[in-house]
Amino acid sequence: MIAQFILSILLAGILIYAWSEYGRSPAVALLAVFVATAGLYFVWAPEHSTALAELVGIGRGVDLILYVWVCLSLIVVLNLHLKLRTQMELITALARQLALADAQASDFISSRPGARKPRQTSDRNA
Amino acid sequence: MVSRPRVYVVIPAYNEGPVIARVVTEVKRAGHAVVVVDDGSSDATADQARAGGAVVIRHPFNLGQGAALQTGIDYALAHAAEFIVTFDADGQHRLSDISRLVEALVQERADFALGSRFLGQAPNLPPLRRLLLRAATAFTRLTTGLQVTDTHNGLRAMTRRGAAAIRLRQNRMAHASEWLGQIAASGLRYVERPVTIEYTAYSLAKGQTIADAVFILLDLFARRLYR
Repeated sequence: MIAQFILSILLAGILIYAWSEYGRSPAVALLAVFVATAGLYFVWAPEHSTALAELVGIGRGVDLILYVWVCLSLIVVLNLHLKLRTQMELITALARQLALADAQASDFISSRPGARKPRQTSDRNA
Repeated sequence: MVSRPRVYVVIPAYNEGPVIARVVTEVKRAGHAVVVVDDGSSDATADQARAGGAVVIRHPFNLGQGAALQTGIDYALAHAAEFIVTFDADGQHRLSDISRLVEALVQERADFALGSRFLGQAPNLPPLRRLLLRAATAFTRLTTGLQVTDTHNGLRAMTRRGAAAIRLRQNRMAHASEWLGQIAASGLRYVERPVTIEYTAYSLAKGQTIADAVFILLDLFARRLYR
């Protein structure tokens, strides 16, 4: 009974997570909702999971739930990957702005009359 | 202020110190403005490019070739470029192909002119690399619907309007397919022209491998999963 409560809380957490992710990636969110709901159902009706497991050719309901859990983790990993990618895009935009602003500044300096040549040495801060 | 050159040649460079000055000098001599995007190199690439007479834009850290190209294009657009050409830093492209591609833009009233080594020549192209490029081309044709013969060629020319339609989001090497996807989506006219690519020991050492191709495929696949 205790295990069932703990699992239920974890799965409910996944549901909330999926709900909050819906705006960014509906496909991932819907998949997560589906899997978490199925998980919740089987946690409270293990005999149904055994029946279903036998139907699809898996020995025990517990095994079925374990497999489902693995799938769920993979989905979360995928979602994290996509999130990292979005962050990379933001970092790229930031770095690009910085590089372009830097180039513009040195354009301006070198276009003024009597200006020194733009720095020739490496501008890495030693 | 002198009148701005019409053609901006964008050269992404990552640790190309040994060769970049020569490439820049040659392109400058042909009368084009040169923008080198130093993609966070740890060697003297930026200094060498400046010595050759290029405008140098430095990424604070390495972001990838796609990101470097986009930065160079942004710079050229901001400086009233009429035509923008992308060119590789390792000296494998031929200078005369730049004007040939730009002429093709004007004559064909196209917005993109893409270089193709398979219409042209590629001396010393290793058989395995040829096979890999063929496979990449088949894949891109399938996914974008463009009938091109060489999808992974760094030599491209575009008009201002064409460049404005491009927004590369694949920082790493998957940008080659992204170019074609965006060209197809823009609905603008494109032409392909034969170009010569000279493979040297230097450029071959820096080229793509089978493992890179696998990662590119994974990357492109992941991209389709979310909006």
